[in-house]
Amino acid sequence: MSYFSNISSAITTLVDGMKVTMGYFVRPREHVTLQYPDEVWPIPTRNIGVGEIDSYNTIRSKLVVDFEDCIGCKACERACPVDCINIETFKAGPEEDIGTTKNDTKIKLRVTSFTIDMSECMFCDLCTHPCPEDCIHMTPDYQFISNDNVKLDVTPEERWRDRDHLIYQFSKVSPEEREQRAAEAAKVAAAKAAAMEAKKAAAEKAAAAKASAEQAALDEAAREASVVEVTQSAASMPITPPAPIGSSPQSTPLTDAISGPAPDIISVQDTTPPDDTVEKLNIPMETITSPEVSEEKPVATETTVEPEKSTDTEDSSTGETENG
Amino acid sequence: MITSLANWILTFDILSGMGSSVAWGLSLFVVAALIFVFVAVNAIVLVYIERKVSAFMQVRLGPMRVGKFGTLQTVADALKLLQKEDIIPKMADKVLFIVGPWVILVASVVTFAAIPFSDTLLAANMNIGLYYIVSISSIVVLGIVMAGWASNNKWSLYGAMRSAAQIISYEIPVGITLIAVVAVVGSLNLQTIIEAQGGTGNLFYWIPIPLPNWFIFHNPFLFIAAFVYLIGATAEINRTPFDIPESESELVAGFMTEFSGLRWALFFLSEYANATLVAFLVAIVFLGGWQSPFADYEGTQIGFSIITLVAIMWTLFVRTKTGRLSVYPLGLSFVITIAVWLFPGFAIWLASPGIFWMLMKVGTIIFLLMWFRWTFPRLRVDQLMYVSWKVILPLSLINLMGVAIWMWLTGEIQF
Repeated sequence: MSYFSNISSAITTLVDGMKVTMGYFVRPREHVTLQYPDEVWPIPTRNIGVGEIDSYNTIRSKLVVDFEDCIGCKACERACPVDCINIETFKAGPEEDIGTTKNDTKIKLRVTSFTIDMSECMFCDLCTHPCPEDCIHMTPDYQFISNDNVKLDVTPEERWRDRDHLIYQFSKVSPEEREQRAAEAAKVAAAKAAAMEAKKAAAEKAAAAKASAEQAALDEAAREASVVEVTQSAASMPITPPAPIGSSPQSTPLTDAISGPAPDIISVQDTTPPDDTVEKLNIPMETITSPEVSEEKPVATETTVEPEKSTDTEDSSTGETENG
Repeated sequence: MITSLANWILTFDILSGMGSSVAWGLSLFVVAALIFVFVAVNAIVLVYIERKVSAFMQVRLGPMRVGKFGTLQTVADALKLLQKEDIIPKMADKVLFIVGPWVILVASVVTFAAIPFSDTLLAANMNIGLYYIVSISSIVVLGIVMAGWASNNKWSLYGAMRSAAQIISYEIPVGITLIAVVAVVGSLNLQTIIEAQGGTGNLFYWIPIPLPNWFIFHNPFLFIAAFVYLIGATAEINRTPFDIPESESELVAGFMTEFSGLRWALFFLSEYANATLVAFLVAIVFLGGWQSPFADYEGTQIGFSIITLVAIMWTLFVRTKTGRLSVYPLGLSFVITIAVWLFPGFAIWLASPGIFWMLMKVGTIIFLLMWFRWTFPRLRVDQLMYVSWKVILPLSLINLMGVAIWMWLTGEIQF
């Protein structure tokens, strides 16, 4: 009997299943499948409670630069924690007019390369706030697609993109002009360096005499100074007293022409190796609390304290061994 | 059709000098090419329809990107398959590997020679048409075993063996079911079988519901036999729920595992050719072939009015129950009914037998097969054999006996 009940239950269950599928077949099509390029899910609105500030409330999906407003200040490059922004600028010539930003700021630097490595960007939004022209910003555009690597047809902001490494170039400057600019800048730098060399050679003799004279004056001042004056000078020493020495033309040989002035302490070391003002300068603030500090004493204390410490440790160790 | 084509060729003055035998050979070639084109186009269309049907049954959209609503998707797929590299495995039996797919394709295409598309449109009017189709379509097993063995692959061999066992098992109930119909008609000629189903009659001879005189309504045993045949034929063409020879989850792709490109396309072609063949056989043997369901002009009008009424009631019922239903079938039947009442010529055309009705019936059966495929889970191997030997075979034997008794009771056959 179970044979026939099996057959009947088979037929009824099959008919049930066919009813289900036919129900779905006849039903008008609902939007279950999203046909992606034609239909896109709406991007959710984001409000994290910072009022009406748009840069906080946008979904951060892509970093984009309005390149026309970029003045090449590199504030965003410095702010980036992962170094994904790379900017290359060259000073515009005096008669060159690059234009102004939307805030009517005159652009003085020609930005030959402005790349953002979107594979490294972590969407922290830290670069957008330092921007003085509000030209770098996050957009909710999450589609990192294009038909090829050179021509762009999705977003008009960037000039080219390296699809394999997700590096986006925003500068509209052509590679030829970029090379030309770099060559010009190199020429200018070379000329500057040559001028510096000549200047340095001319000033070297005078500088040596001047330095010795200054040194003598400093020594005298240090000896004659009271205790309070010494501490004050030691506190302000790393910044103020070497400044005239650092700014003297002898201090430049280590640095190249383009970068700023070299660290002052190094220059001081170079110029006055035999003198021990260097050691005095390097003494931390906390060690100069005692009133008896002078320029001879630190050497003495160093030489004397170390053996004391060693004997202390020896004593303690021997005591421990005796106790043990 | 071949003879008439040859005669038509000979009516041209330029061609009349070629001789009747040459004309006959030429028309033979033309008809064979036509049949092959029909099979190929049919496969392309059916693959698209199957993908759409399966998508709709699974609340998907199916192919949408190539052409409008993805209509060119299968054309693109076919072009891709033609371009693919012809890979023959190193350790495969090369001769059998190459011959196998062609055996399957030829066996499934050649059967269409005996299929009557309409009362005049058929390649060969054989007096043993049914026998020819059943016997030739069994050669497919040979090709499957060849392909499976030549692949030198365990999945392929498993698939081929399962397929052989399955097809041989289901041949028996299918054959006996067809014999039941042959017992009613007394002929193996498919045209004679279709002609015997013309006109209208009562349901099961006595119940006073006017229905077309098809064999499915001829007597209760043949009504069951139609479904028995459909189930057995589904198993014979390796379609879900009887697709254990190529069950994807167990055997990768069964006997097709090692095939790719054009050879794989041949398998696909023959698969859909077989499905169409089964649909044709069901339509011919049980649903009256190219006969119209309406006896005459008034019958068409009344029949479509009844269909529209039923459609309206069903739509309203389902709408009130679930709140959602497509109204397009209702609209279509409504439009046809109005057309039938307004244009008598259209009604007369609908009432006359022809290829339209044949293709309508075939399409319905193919849709039914697709419906099966995307609804039912696959049977286990032992369940498959259980269904074949313990359920379908006894049922077909009972049907054969019942049909004989019915014929004797109704007096259609005198002993």
